[in-house]
Amino acid sequence: MERKIKIFSSKQERLIEYTVPIEHGMVVLDAVIYVLEHFDSSISARWNCKAGRCGSCGAEINGIPSLMCKTRLDSINGDIEVVPMKVFPNVKDLVVDPTDTWRIKKAMPNFKISEMVISKSSGITATKNITLYEYDVTRAQEFKKCIECFLCLDSCHAIRVHKSAYIGPMHVAKAASLDMNPLDSLDRRDFLDKNGIRFCNVTKCCTEVCPAKIKITDNAIIPEKERINDKKII
Amino acid sequence: MKKTRNIIKAMLPPEFRSIRFFSFLFLMALAFVALLIFRIPKYKGYIDPFYSPTILILPAIALFRLTCYAFRKSYNRHVFTHPMACIVSSSNDLNKNYTGESSYVFRIENLHRYFMYFSVLILPFFYYDAYVSFAYNFSLIRLGSILLLADAIILSLYVFSCHSVRNLIGGNKDCFSCMKFSISRKKIFDLQSFLNEHHEFFAWFSLAFIIFIDLFIRAMIAFHFDIILLHI
Ligand code: SF4
Ligand code: SF4
Ligand code: FES
Repeated sequence: MERKIKIFSSKQERLIEYTVPIEHGMVVLDAVIYVLEHFDSSISARWNCKAGRCGSCGAEINGIPSLMCKTRLDSINGDIEVVPMKVFPNVKDLVVDPTDTWRIKKAMPNFKISEMVISKSSGITATKNITLYEYDVTRAQEFKKCIECFLCLDSCHAIRVHKSAYIGPMHVAKAASLDMNPLDSLDRRDFLDKNGIRFCNVTKCCTEVCPAKIKITDNAIIPEKERINDKKII
Repeated sequence: MKKTRNIIKAMLPPEFRSIRFFSFLFLMALAFVALLIFRIPKYKGYIDPFYSPTILILPAIALFRLTCYAFRKSYNRHVFTHPMACIVSSSNDLNKNYTGESSYVFRIENLHRYFMYFSVLILPFFYYDAYVSFAYNFSLIRLGSILLLADAIILSLYVFSCHSVRNLIGGNKDCFSCMKFSISRKKIFDLQSFLNEHHEFFAWFSLAFIIFIDLFIRAMIAFHFDIILLHI
């Protein structure tokens, strides 16, 4: 069996169609690699693990931000269109430049251990021996599953309209994972408020596309919004 | 004239300039007026949930639902089309005017917790209505009474699965073990989180159910019937 796959070419600024023989269980990334090996070796695409773990192979497949290595061809009807994520500057073909996300990560207040765990006796600062209970850390742990694929950033319409005024779901999840950590002493509410968390209208596209199945909206964005409301309503 | 129109235009968020929004508004107003005009009396101990305790508080309940995170998702997608679906379109037309919560009209959504307190105060009335319908004749168990009780339970599940409740009972705390009654508080929080996962379902189901009961009671009045399940 054969399927048609269209891959974006940045040189020609259009989709180029290829016909690829299909085997059972093939994913989009396999088809792209087939094109690379048999038709055009100049196509640029990123991938590493082919197991949905490294977060390198994100692209828009028929308009939906997805991991190429996790989208099976038999889950798509009709032609397959693969274009790079539009929210980032394009480097070449399917490769984009997400440098901005590292800038945002640096700007976020970092983990700062709370006084609770530091004992200062006779001039020596040491860490107290404290017990961290499992039921205290489960909430923050969910966001550690993030593989930094940036698909949620690409799916977010608030970023598409307001650009850098909103830091994006992935970073709110990161902030929530730090905020909900019992050992952390900082409060990132002002940071989030200043960086556009109010632009999010909880339409849950980020949750829908997240390959790590993190409930970004329910467990990170809405709790953070509510915490902001605790401090400053409207 | 033109000036006032421009001022009004500048005050309203761009979302409010769509035909979808006006048709939505029109339908809501129509429903409210219809409920006001076609009021129904208590029938055989059944009190219509729309008139419990009175239709005048309906706007407050409407505000609770309009600022609810579950309905926000729905109307942002389907009334304001921001965004309509998660497909990243190449044209982006539908999203261009989006201002989100930066406009003051939408910041009202942050008052959700106060509407939630109000709704919690209203809840006992629904249980009272169910009780009244059972008390109408204790030797009968009627379908209407069961439905009214189910309605009260579903409404409670909807209100208690709210995200503001989640924040209130522990979402705003980082450390449960640092508090009194730590394990039980965490257990309540986990139970609420479980309900919260199904918040959207409860939201829509309770809305549909209350309309169904209203129609059911109206039908009973119109055709003078009552369904008795059990004689005790
Ligand atoms: S829920 Fe918020 S952050 Fe997530 S895609 Fe929608 S607007 Fe963006
Ligand atoms: S939150 Fe999910 S979608 Fe967003 S970068 Fe992390 S894994 Fe990817
Ligand atoms: S190749 Fe690693 S996530 Fe797809």
